[in-house]
Amino acid sequence: MHLAWLYAGVILQGAVVTLELTVVSTVLSFILGIFGALGRIYGPPWLRTAILAYVELIRGLPPILQLFIIFFGLTQFGIDLPPFTAAMIWLVIYGTGYAIEVFRAGIQAVADGQREAATAVGMGFLSTLRKVVMPQAFVLMLPPLTNFVIIQLKNTTLVYFIGVADIMYQAQLGADATEQPGTLYALAAVAYLIMNGTLSRIAAHLERKAAAYR
Amino acid sequence: MSFLHLWAQNLPAFWQGVEMTLELTALALLLAVAFGFVLALMRLSRLRLLSLVATIYIEVVRAIPVLVLLFVAYYSLGQIGIQMSGFTAAVITLGVYYATLYGEIFRGGIEGVQYGQREAAEALGMGSQAIMRRIVLPQAFLAILPPATNELADLIKDTSLVVTIGVADLMFQAYQASAANFHPMDMFLLAGIMYFVFYLVLSQFLTRWETNVQRRRG
Repeated sequence: MHLAWLYAGVILQGAVVTLELTVVSTVLSFILGIFGALGRIYGPPWLRTAILAYVELIRGLPPILQLFIIFFGLTQFGIDLPPFTAAMIWLVIYGTGYAIEVFRAGIQAVADGQREAATAVGMGFLSTLRKVVMPQAFVLMLPPLTNFVIIQLKNTTLVYFIGVADIMYQAQLGADATEQPGTLYALAAVAYLIMNGTLSRIAAHLERKAAAYR
Repeated sequence: MSFLHLWAQNLPAFWQGVEMTLELTALALLLAVAFGFVLALMRLSRLRLLSLVATIYIEVVRAIPVLVLLFVAYYSLGQIGIQMSGFTAAVITLGVYYATLYGEIFRGGIEGVQYGQREAAEALGMGSQAIMRRIVLPQAFLAILPPATNELADLIKDTSLVVTIGVADLMFQAYQASAANFHPMDMFLLAGIMYFVFYLVLSQFLTRWETNVQRRRG
């Protein structure tokens, strides 16, 4: 117990790094994901195929393998990325693959009639998308999007392996130093439990509010 | 074309890794399905205590990253005297984690069977076990199959986490080979191709099998 208090501060430092990675990569993935989804639905055939291949590739390969390709693999070509940069790039590349699928499903779930009606009253493609399709799709997408944030948070655990000082990394340092892995990894588990619990709470609250717009 | 030479050189080691990966996947899947079924029955149980325990278990385990669970099983349990090999720890961790996912899939499938089916079976005088085995489960099976194969694809990918505790799976072989010959990209690409083949087999072949089953069962 004494040990847990001793290391709580360090774990908290790790939590800040974990949070930073999660938030920044999620925002970037969402932005890229929206464009990817639009290209996947409305783009020319070659673009659709390319995006489909990208999504399948990201979903088909183990996350840790993708991280290793970016961090270790690129050194073969003389590209030596610092751990944090490599971790962020990987999280965005990986997250975008999943975000594209979420946005695609959301946009396509909005009934065609809505789009046709908007076109019939003379709205252009972009304003139809922005004012009619997206607001409705967003309500549908809330559960998968919050799920996405939780998955992304869990994915950040892998970056300890390349030396990014997240929760996992701090816990391992502590475990090696004190030879008390039980306490340290339990502490890490609690930290993740609290973060994910908070996220699910926020998600449930948002979904309740969004239900009013349905 | 030097990478082809390197690939050929490392193929035996990679193949051993593939065998380990498949072994891990199969055993973890077995554990996850069995334990997941128990969890589903607990959640559906009329005893409030049983369903509460299962619910708490599922919510807690699902919120913790697999890697953390793996470290708890491998390192933390060792501290209190439960010493496991990396392989055993990995099978138990993946089984215990994926049981929560399979448990929810099974529960959804069982709940999805229309209540009238159960009532009709009861009216015919079937016991509750016979109803579960001969009426509910065969129908639930159809709804369970697609999400279950999805999770299997994720399970194979997650076995790669064992590289962190030194179990010699495909990922580990690639990591070791890249450290030995300084051609990390070539090694990880070869591993990537192998993992992707598993994914393709699961997503293409199994989807086709599912549609076949669904057509046959109507």
